[in-house]
Amino acid sequence: MKYEVIIGLEIHVETKTKTKMFSGASSVFDSPANTNVSVIDMAFPGTMPAVNKKAVENAIILAHALNMEIDHELHFDRKNYFYSDLPKGYQITQDRRPIGSNGYLDLVLEKGTKRVNIERLHMEEDTAKQIHLAEFTLIDYNRAGLPLVEIVTKPDIRTGEEAMAFVEAIREIVTFTNVSDGKMEEGSLRCDVNISLRPIGSDKFGTKVEVKNLNSISNIGKVIDAEIKRQSALLDAGKKVLSETRRYDESVKDTVLMRLKDDGVDYKYFPEGNIAPITLEKDYVAKVINMMPELPNIKKKRYLNEYKLNNHEVNIILQSKDLTLYFDEATNYTANYKTLINWVIGEVSAYLNKEGKTIKDIKLAPQNLAKLVNLVNDGKLSNAQAREVFNAIVMTNDDPEAKAKALNLVQVSDTDFILKVINEVIDENLNVIDDIKNGKDRAMGFLVGQVMKKTKGKVNPALASSLMKEEINKR
Amino acid sequence: MSYLNLTISELHALYVSGLTTPLNVVNEVIAALERDQNNILEQTMYEEARLFAASLKEVEVDNLLWGIPFLVKDNIATKGIETTASSNILNGYVSLFDAEIITKLKNQKAIPIAKTTMDELGMGGCGMTGHKGVTLNPYGKDNNRIVGGSSSGSASGVASGYVPFALASDTGDSIRKPASFAGLVGYKPTWGELSRHGLFAFMPTLDHLGFLTRSVFDVSLLYDLTKGYDVKDFTTNIQKSKNSVETLTTSLKGRKIAVIEPIFAKLTNETLLKEFNNLVAKMEAKGAKVSFVKFDELLLEAILPTYLILSCSEATASNANLTGVNFGNAKDGETYEDIVLNTRTEGFSKQIKYRFLLGNYSLRKDTRNNYYNRAQKARTLIVKAFNELFNEFDAVMLPAAPSHAPLINKEPEPNSEVENNYLAMANLGGFPSLTIPFALDKGLPLGVNLTGKAFNDALILNLGYQIEEITGLYNLHVGQR
Repeated sequence: MKYEVIIGLEIHVETKTKTKMFSGASSVFDSPANTNVSVIDMAFPGTMPAVNKKAVENAIILAHALNMEIDHELHFDRKNYFYSDLPKGYQITQDRRPIGSNGYLDLVLEKGTKRVNIERLHMEEDTAKQIHLAEFTLIDYNRAGLPLVEIVTKPDIRTGEEAMAFVEAIREIVTFTNVSDGKMEEGSLRCDVNISLRPIGSDKFGTKVEVKNLNSISNIGKVIDAEIKRQSALLDAGKKVLSETRRYDESVKDTVLMRLKDDGVDYKYFPEGNIAPITLEKDYVAKVINMMPELPNIKKKRYLNEYKLNNHEVNIILQSKDLTLYFDEATNYTANYKTLINWVIGEVSAYLNKEGKTIKDIKLAPQNLAKLVNLVNDGKLSNAQAREVFNAIVMTNDDPEAKAKALNLVQVSDTDFILKVINEVIDENLNVIDDIKNGKDRAMGFLVGQVMKKTKGKVNPALASSLMKEEINKR
Repeated sequence: MSYLNLTISELHALYVSGLTTPLNVVNEVIAALERDQNNILEQTMYEEARLFAASLKEVEVDNLLWGIPFLVKDNIATKGIETTASSNILNGYVSLFDAEIITKLKNQKAIPIAKTTMDELGMGGCGMTGHKGVTLNPYGKDNNRIVGGSSSGSASGVASGYVPFALASDTGDSIRKPASFAGLVGYKPTWGELSRHGLFAFMPTLDHLGFLTRSVFDVSLLYDLTKGYDVKDFTTNIQKSKNSVETLTTSLKGRKIAVIEPIFAKLTNETLLKEFNNLVAKMEAKGAKVSFVKFDELLLEAILPTYLILSCSEATASNANLTGVNFGNAKDGETYEDIVLNTRTEGFSKQIKYRFLLGNYSLRKDTRNNYYNRAQKARTLIVKAFNELFNEFDAVMLPAAPSHAPLINKEPEPNSEVENNYLAMANLGGFPSLTIPFALDKGLPLGVNLTGKAFNDALILNLGYQIEEITGLYNLHVGQR
């Protein structure tokens, strides 16, 4: 291709709090329409915004995770425009001084590491949700005033793959740090793509097109592909790319025009006089960062270096924060990390997939899974037996050892007992012994099989086999 | 016996001695309000007030606000009561909550009794622009004088002696100018001392709540009882400030007062000049040192345009919630845009639209450098200059207005003179600022203003109390006993 693709992203993250950004109304998702609404959210005269501390802490955590400078003072501004989803007629945001600035995120891609610089991260409030029907529009104020963090990258992204990886990394960070649900389909993570093309070698940016409100990571890739195609066709034909706001239309698998960008939009920003500047003490910021949950990249390092897991295992488990939390808890009760990871991403995950459950739905405590893993590692249960025990206790959280006994599944490691059975078997099959001594190894399997049969499979076959050899040699 | 025309402490003494009850007083106040000829009333709360008064049985000896009736400017939210800020766009709007200051006063068992007229949305200084028309000054013998604004109904009502005090607000001089015209004590504490929760915003960093009373003691008491941090107002002062009542009696000895010479030089009313000089002499006799000081005249001239540009600019946002979509006096329309257009076109008077136009022009991308941004810089310079003065002096003292209350048909608005508009400097700096009567000019009150450094509220009130002692103009009113 003869064009270089320039992409910048604007990501809105709805951060998790009990109440809204500036009011005491609940912020629970999916409540009945217009039930989480306070007089502040409706902009009744005389109401004033009260800053949500948890929302600020969420922003601090994200800014830290994105390697940003964190402002030592909070300032808010008013962004003025009339729209039916904006009760106050202005949105409280951070224009002059975003809480986070000058950060970056390193993406690990197949072709290597790619650094995407991040210009700013600021807090603001969400607007009401509008439901447009044929005859009228319904407004749900539950969303009005929910806390948002907006992340704006530098135009450092060059491909759809990078853009998807960036959003995926943000999703991973916000979910692992518990800052947000990070669900694009529910709107708690939203992405706008700014994309322009320029001839390779040029240092001047082309005209930028904004594609708004993408609701899945795969759509980000599709939008970028579609825009590259559309814009290069225009440029190839000697036409101009217009400064537009577009959206992705699933049905035609292409972007469609929403509106021409009007440079005349003037939000007339000015400082929010109802919130005095708030000092963020160094100690306070440090405390918030110190208390934050482990970031995914740090967790990954820990798994690789401390637990000696391999890349494949780590990548699989990192796809689910809850699975890693389960794994982390279980590591308090076993040092058999390899067996443990195999169980978590193997048997446990298979069970969850089959049953359509999440790790939070099962009763089996991490402590008991660890116990089960230890039973396997100590040779007290075979893998097949352990699977049977797992299936029996996954929804009961019974003690695995007790359950194994109850199911008569315990492997016998009592050598005296095993020797007794072995000698019985040898005595009953003296003719076979000669075969073995003459080098017919296959007969060995037959004898061990007899031992297993007599003990109803409770004997560790490896142990039985080695003891059998010793006993035959004695004869 | 009549219980009107009394100050808070006088009325309290009657309650304590058992000579009357809150219900008696409330009934008499209601009767007086019903006879009012000065157009001071918005929605009344007579039934609520009677019920509240009737519930007050055991007098609280140590609570001076117990059973004291008061008036409320109509830009202060009152739960269950129509609150319109005297604008048609809010006709029928009933607040779902009480302003924090109303809650505090109710908790002290003070009784709100009626809402009062004002200049529409607080944007005016004459008391003539509210949706109910002109509010009159009770001192005007032929119903011919303005009381000033925007706290016009509150000022007129207190001057008429109906109640001992009224709640009011002040973005440019809206408490302190009417106080001057109506012979009242008008006080706006330091910005952040009183919670603004429930005050309809005009420009947040200039808006102040305050009081109109007929004695400095009363205003000092009200300040002490209502100030303090409020979680609902993120601009309230977290530090606990000094109470003011205890230091009211401190003498003037050693106090340093500045009279700003360039403003004083512009005054021409002879009675006012004579009485002011008289007051200065008496204060000096009591040990105060009064100095006539120079001040950068360009900065003085900048006060009004700075105030106007900033307040009109931010008023566009403060009132952007008035669309008729969520509440208020909505007009019909096919689309959201039509509803907003029709509601605002019919709901706001011409005066308000003029201010919004000015504000929008000042904020526009291509003009804001010359207006809004420049006004912000001017604000910083003006405040800095006054703070430098306050490093040397305890207060600035000047006549609060160049004359007594003007005649109705003589008040251009906005007027442009420095001497008529300098009080807005206390809003730009958030300074504590007090107007009290200091003389009468042919039966019409003249007011003097004292303004000091932010958070020196107790000092300003102390100075006011000492001046009240000198003038003897305590509990001025035009009410009949």
